Amino acid sequence: MPNTYLDLVSFVPWTLIFTWLNLFILYSLIKKFLFKPVNNMLEQRKNEINTMYETAQQAQTNAEEMEKEYSERMAQAREEAGEIIKQATLSAQRREQEIISDAQEKAAIMTKRAEAEIAQERKKAYQEIKNEISDISVAIAGKMVQREISAADHEALISQFIENVGEV
Amino acid sequence: MERAIVLAASAIGAGLSMIAGIGPGIGQGYAAGKAAEAVGRQPEAKGDITSTMLFGCAVAESTGIYGLVVAMILLFANPLIGKL
Amino acid sequence: MAVEITGPKVLFTIGPVVVTNTIVTSWVIIALIVAVCYWLTKDLKPVPETKKQIVAEKLVSMVYDLTDSTMGKKWRNFAPYVAALFAYSFVSSMSGLTGVRAPTSDLSIILAMALVTFTMIQVTGIKAKGFWGHFKKFLNPLNLISEIATPVSMTFRHFGNIAAGVVITTLLYAALAYFSTVILNLIPISFIQQIPVLQVGLPAFLSIYFDVFTSFLQAYIFIMLTMVYVSMAED
Repeated sequence: MPNTYLDLVSFVPWTLIFTWLNLFILYSLIKKFLFKPVNNMLEQRKNEINTMYETAQQAQTNAEEMEKEYSERMAQAREEAGEIIKQATLSAQRREQEIISDAQEKAAIMTKRAEAEIAQERKKAYQEIKNEISDISVAIAGKMVQREISAADHEALISQFIENVGEV
Repeated sequence: MERAIVLAASAIGAGLSMIAGIGPGIGQGYAAGKAAEAVGRQPEAKGDITSTMLFGCAVAESTGIYGLVVAMILLFANPLIGKL
Repeated sequence: MAVEITGPKVLFTIGPVVVTNTIVTSWVIIALIVAVCYWLTKDLKPVPETKKQIVAEKLVSMVYDLTDSTMGKKWRNFAPYVAALFAYSFVSSMSGLTGVRAPTSDLSIILAMALVTFTMIQVTGIKAKGFWGHFKKFLNPLNLISEIATPVSMTFRHFGNIAAGVVITTLLYAALAYFSTVILNLIPISFIQQIPVLQVGLPAFLSIYFDVFTSFLQAYIFIMLTMVYVSMAED
């Protein structure tokens, strides 16, 4: 039987059985060596991508929260800064006003004082001149007139004179 | 003598059975023509049309293949000689 | 000049067990397919680093796409059988290129494959509709005939195409050997006369059609018909 050629169209039952076995073995081996590893790997990839997405989502949420917080803080800080500047400006203005009014007051006081002094000086000078003039006039009058004049007339004349002088 | 007659008749029978090749020839030509028309109308569906046409042609070929198998049985695995 | 066109050769027998050369070739082919699968999926990583991993993924997804589109999502477990059937049929037919006898040109092997499909059709029908629900349609003898014609037509379609290629290739080789001796007989050296020079190169063009194109087409049709018939048996 070995090494004999069968007909082109021939049927061997043993070949049938062998082919069934072959097909079954090939099916199980292909399932084990091609489909199972690839499916496992795809499952793994799916899981990994899912975790990646979750992490990314979480990171994004965190970042958004942080951004919100930061912007809130920034706004707060800006407000505070504005407040501070405003207050500083206000106090500076107040101070300015104070300084100016102070200066004005002082200036006014000084002017007043100066005026008072001037007035006093003038009064004094006036008094002195009056005295001197009266003395001089008495002396001149005594010398020139050589006559008795009543003290009262005398006084009245001088006063009149001085008054005239003062008006000049 | 009988054997010679059976062999001659088998050879003639094998030749006659290949007349079955006419049918698939016409059918596949018709299918290919229709496919060419379809490609002309919708060139973007060329891949689908080609694969569908090949599938249809291969199925339509069955009758011709049956004729071929009968011819091959008559020529190479003649069951009639054993009946002598 | 006689041309011998024969079927498979009986390599050895163990008691009643007959082992033909097509079966031995099948074993080699199965080992080859499994080795390729093992090599492709040796170290898969979630992030593909090698080209062979992309090839493996592409293969698996192609088979899944095919079963999904022709049978529906619930038949996903069927995909490995489809892949096995296609790989076996295609590589077997292609092995004719190497000069060995293609397992698919053995009627018994194709018949076995078709009978597996036939059994699957019956089992699916019984599972879906119950024993009586499935078999009551055979009360009409025409249905019975068409049911039996299914594996027969599948067998003869595949076998006929590949065997026709074998026959034509054998005839062509014989013819080319004859013509080359006719030409080389002009040279009066008997050693040179034996060299079939015309056999080099010329049959390759025929092989492209009969071995590559037909192999792929018949393997594809076989799995398509299997999937269509099995999923049709449900309703």
